[in-house]
Amino acid sequence: MKWLDTFTERISRDVAKTSSRRGFLGNLGRLIVGGSLLPLLPVARAADSPPLTLPAEGEDPGDPATCEYWRNCAVDGFLCSCCGGSVTSCPPGTEMSPITWIGTCTNPGDGKDYIISYNDCCAKESCGNCFCNRNEADRPTYRPHTSNDYNWCLGTKSAAYHCTVNIILGVAVK
Amino acid sequence: MLKKILLVFVLGIPGVAVLAELPQDKLGAVETLPAEYPDSWVFVHDVSFMHMSSGKYILMDIAGETAKDFYKGMVNSSYISFFASAHSKPEFYVGENFYSRGHRGERTDVITIYDKRTLSPIDEVIITDGKRAEMLPSKYTMRLIADDRFLLFYKFSPATAIGVMDTDKRKIVNTIPLPTCAGIYPTGRRGFSSLCSDGSMVSYQLDSQGQVTGSERVAKFFNVDADALFEKPAIMNNIAYFPTFTGNIQELDLSAAVAVPGDKWPLVTGGDQQANWRPGGAWPAATANEAIYVLMHKDGYEGSHKEPGSEIWVYEVQDKKRISRIVLQSPAIAFDITRGDKPKIIATNIEMGLEIYDAITGSQIRTLDDFYRAGPLLVYASP
Repeated sequence: MKWLDTFTERISRDVAKTSSRRGFLGNLGRLIVGGSLLPLLPVARAADSPPLTLPAEGEDPGDPATCEYWRNCAVDGFLCSCCGGSVTSCPPGTEMSPITWIGTCTNPGDGKDYIISYNDCCAKESCGNCFCNRNEADRPTYRPHTSNDYNWCLGTKSAAYHCTVNIILGVAVK
Repeated sequence: MLKKILLVFVLGIPGVAVLAELPQDKLGAVETLPAEYPDSWVFVHDVSFMHMSSGKYILMDIAGETAKDFYKGMVNSSYISFFASAHSKPEFYVGENFYSRGHRGERTDVITIYDKRTLSPIDEVIITDGKRAEMLPSKYTMRLIADDRFLLFYKFSPATAIGVMDTDKRKIVNTIPLPTCAGIYPTGRRGFSSLCSDGSMVSYQLDSQGQVTGSERVAKFFNVDADALFEKPAIMNNIAYFPTFTGNIQELDLSAAVAVPGDKWPLVTGGDQQANWRPGGAWPAATANEAIYVLMHKDGYEGSHKEPGSEIWVYEVQDKKRISRIVLQSPAIAFDITRGDKPKIIATNIEMGLEIYDAITGSQIRTLDDFYRAGPLLVYASP
């Protein structure tokens, strides 16, 4: 689920943490997609880019279970790494939504901008662990593919939202 | 022991004067409410993000003095619902989803129609294609137009569309596809406008049966990347005042059949620019007393548009000048302002409480620290 994160004391603390990270975050989350494109079009762009070599160990720095992890630059929800899944896999018994919103995050390991697909894991109610809300380049709901205010559990058997994974689609085309 | 208790019942308590017995209470009494609510009544939405099938709207009288006084009643809601309240008939509407097995099974999307007097559902209209949008709550995702005759609601699959429900017939009479646009801003005699992904807008007019009689694209008038409009404007006298991410107001005239972009003017001037004050929160703007009120936070940055606001700034719209700033006790997520001669600000804060301020003087009136173990989000004033 993509929602404002200020409802509990824990979430309030997250806001404070985000505020302290502004200098770092200011360099992240620059979207490259145009305003009128459909959500899946960035996937096609990634496919047109040179074959992707995924970062080797050590080139993907940070703990995916923390909000500071670089792929989380535009996430708004519970991190699946804290919910029985991983940064790229859904927890048991959930279903990954094939329709997503898109962020572009800079990997501090290699300095490259990667297109990140934020796929929701669905069919169970909220995980409740590791809430993360970062809104760099998030835009209002009239531009859906860059809006984390939607429940993106679309095309799944149940639209109940559980958590979100961060999947690399490719290196952003400049 | 049982004998002692029986003796007390039979003989009375020693030393206590014998009083007249209380009459037998009537069983089955249930309170009712007036068909028209006083200005001081508001609905506060608990979206229940941790248990989304268990949301609620609590009806509150903010003229009360204690948590007990505030609470007038409650209705349940399911899966980040939409809300709209009529004024020409004693009804309000909740757009919501259900599953046949709680969080799974067959999905049913529905507009539930409530009687204001009983807070009970009196009817429902099924959205047969199950495409009601689930999203952060907004007052512009479900809206009444044409003197409450039509209820418009936003659909997302991710194709975007507006559903049209006839509130007299209690039937969905139309679905209007949108060219990747969102928001329902009442426009003209019987129509609406929506903001679009490229910074343009579309306006539609409907006939008496809810069918489209005309539509027009309003050319691009803002830059979504450089200075996006919040999709949550304050509307006063048919003029929408949209705050922008970097701290401006974009006016939009909604009085005719097609929306007309108006002036764009700065919220932040002079020395306040150095502190980089910006609008933000889950609900950033409201109106009262011919002024607009904007929730503001300082030290803004790209991505700070959902930050809670530490102050509410008040603007006179004719001269486009700030006339006061209200420093809040705790940073607020959202707020609204009651109607009438003595408008009150009701703000939901990051401590999960409510704060009430005099909208004219800015003085704080009351704080409700414990919001009934729920998470207040949006406030719907004078429903």
